[in-house]
Amino acid sequence: MKLLSKYSILFLIALSLLISCKDKRNPNYQYMANKDMYQSSGYETYSKNPVFKDSISAQKPVVHSIARGKIPYEYPDSELGYESAKKNLKSPIVKDDKNLAQGKYLFEIYCSTCHGIKGDGQGVLSQREKFLGIPNYKDRQITEGSIYHVIMYGRNLMGSHASQLRENERWQIVQYVEKLKSELQ
Amino acid sequence: MRSVLKHNQQKRLVISLFLFLIFTLTIKAQEGDPTKGKELFNANCAACHQLENRLVGPPLKKIGEKRDQKWLIKWIKDSQALINSGDKDAIAIFEEYNKIPMLAFPNLSDQDVIDILSYTDTDQMLGADGKPIDEAYLNGKKVFQVNCAACHKLEKKLIGPPLGNISDKRQMPWLKSFIKDSQAMIKSGDKDAVAIYEEYQKVLMLPFPQLTEKEIEDVIHYTTVGDNEESIQLDAEMDNADLELYRKWIVRFVIALISLILIIIILSTKNLLLKFLSIAMIVLGLTYYAFSWLLQIGVDDGYQPIQPIAFSHKIHSGDNKINCQYCHSSAKHSKTSEIPSVNVCMNCHKSISEYKGILYDGYDKAFYDGEIQKIYDAVGWDKANAKYKENFVQKPIQWIRVHNLADFAYFNHAQHVTAGKVECKTCHGPVEEMQEVSQFAPLTMGWCVDCHRTTEVSMATNDYYEEIHKALAKKLGTEKVTVAQMGGLECGKCHH
Repeated sequence: MKLLSKYSILFLIALSLLISCKDKRNPNYQYMANKDMYQSSGYETYSKNPVFKDSISAQKPVVHSIARGKIPYEYPDSELGYESAKKNLKSPIVKDDKNLAQGKYLFEIYCSTCHGIKGDGQGVLSQREKFLGIPNYKDRQITEGSIYHVIMYGRNLMGSHASQLRENERWQIVQYVEKLKSELQ
Repeated sequence: MRSVLKHNQQKRLVISLFLFLIFTLTIKAQEGDPTKGKELFNANCAACHQLENRLVGPPLKKIGEKRDQKWLIKWIKDSQALINSGDKDAIAIFEEYNKIPMLAFPNLSDQDVIDILSYTDTDQMLGADGKPIDEAYLNGKKVFQVNCAACHKLEKKLIGPPLGNISDKRQMPWLKSFIKDSQAMIKSGDKDAVAIYEEYQKVLMLPFPQLTEKEIEDVIHYTTVGDNEESIQLDAEMDNADLELYRKWIVRFVIALISLILIIIILSTKNLLLKFLSIAMIVLGLTYYAFSWLLQIGVDDGYQPIQPIAFSHKIHSGDNKINCQYCHSSAKHSKTSEIPSVNVCMNCHKSISEYKGILYDGYDKAFYDGEIQKIYDAVGWDKANAKYKENFVQKPIQWIRVHNLADFAYFNHAQHVTAGKVECKTCHGPVEEMQEVSQFAPLTMGWCVDCHRTTEVSMATNDYYEEIHKALAKKLGTEKVTVAQMGGLECGKCHH
């Protein structure tokens, strides 16, 4: 009996050694974690930051500052701005296959979920009734200026996509949207 | 006299015929087709209007009761003209909704507008296919999930019996009184009730006196119609996870048993060879375990922190097929693939303020709605009036980063996503199936190097490197060049 209890204790010890005590909610332990090897003293992109008042590392640019290479957009976010962009704003990029291909690539990431691969308003979100009333491009009076303006500021339910796309990327998308529109008609 | 009467009869006939015609005509004109109306509503109005909530424009539920039909037709066809004509109601709406003019819809016929109105004014909800939604089913499902699901499933025993098609087995009045107070029924000596009580270990079912007759009927309707396929599939997945766990435990048990036997042999045998072999096996086993332990230090695959919002990639990227880069848009240009700023969330969630999709993992709609509300709380969105609160101090949502690379290794997203055309899921795994994101790959150096050794550089689509690639392919004497052959194994490429 004594022997049996001894063995069962041994058995339990062996079993417990085999159980990993990994906790999926916390990161695993690291070798020399506190010696600047794994985590250097610099702040990570989105980490908290004691230097700034709002303790955010990812700060917004200073108001009215202009990033290098960035051209400010002059048309205001209003009905007037929309009408004016529709009439006057022209694409600065050349119309070629390369821009068109890139436009297609970007359109299928940023636009087609709602507007549909063909631009007919039948995207996945539209078919699943998450978003309704997405127009077919052929039913809308749009010019390259107005398309750009809408990507920039959004219109009605569509939000601004300016933070997700660079200027030339927006123009590439505009080029592709115009192609889709012509194909729909 | 006779002729007068005849004349009167004739006149009456004509009048009644006339009245009848008018009557049918007006009926025909006023009776809209809600199914067609829904189609038209979704195509033309829904970009700015919802039925229940304010969006860009006002909510349109029961708008036909609020405004005159003729006025509505005029307004929809050309609101600007109506405003200019000085109509008071029109001007008031224009002022209330920030002077954003409503698009004119001259393409809609009067009948179209009537169809739309018949849709907005109907009490019946219409589903995706334009057919009326089974409200009793939805309501019953909700009641079931809140009240019954703790102890019952449809298809199998839990604490209580399975409830699928329960109405085949029992009568409705019996079910009603049992649900309201099962104990009283058992006491009263109802045979069926007592039998169930005995069968289920004399565990009493909670009484539900708060449920109304209709709610109980809805629940029973739900149990009869059954669940949709998706939730059943989820159950199967859960069972697989259980199986995996059982298997692990069995393996552990066997290994522990073997080591116990080996120890007994060592302690009891006098045969030297057997003793030596047993010791050697134990030493080998221990070394194996020691090394596996050492090798997992600092490796975090499976890491699944609890995020501040229960954001489900399965719903967004799996069900709704939103591209990864829609939200993580800086992956194409930057070292970091960013956590989207809240304006990107709000691109959709301005209008999607409640969850209507499949309910996963036992969460209910209220839970998901609450999670969406967390975005609004962070960014200061006033749901009722559909606009941002003024002078609101926005709070950052403190997401917890899942994939952490040690700082002595350099990794650049743009290099992999844009130049290398590597798919997100190659490293991040099937995120579109994850309710909660966990780290998929080990992110060890061996794992990086393996991929660099086997991945071919696509030379056809990359004109920037075209000449270099040609020269390299010539030098190596192959058509295919891997990342490693291009220098992807040099220490300084990642450790600098």
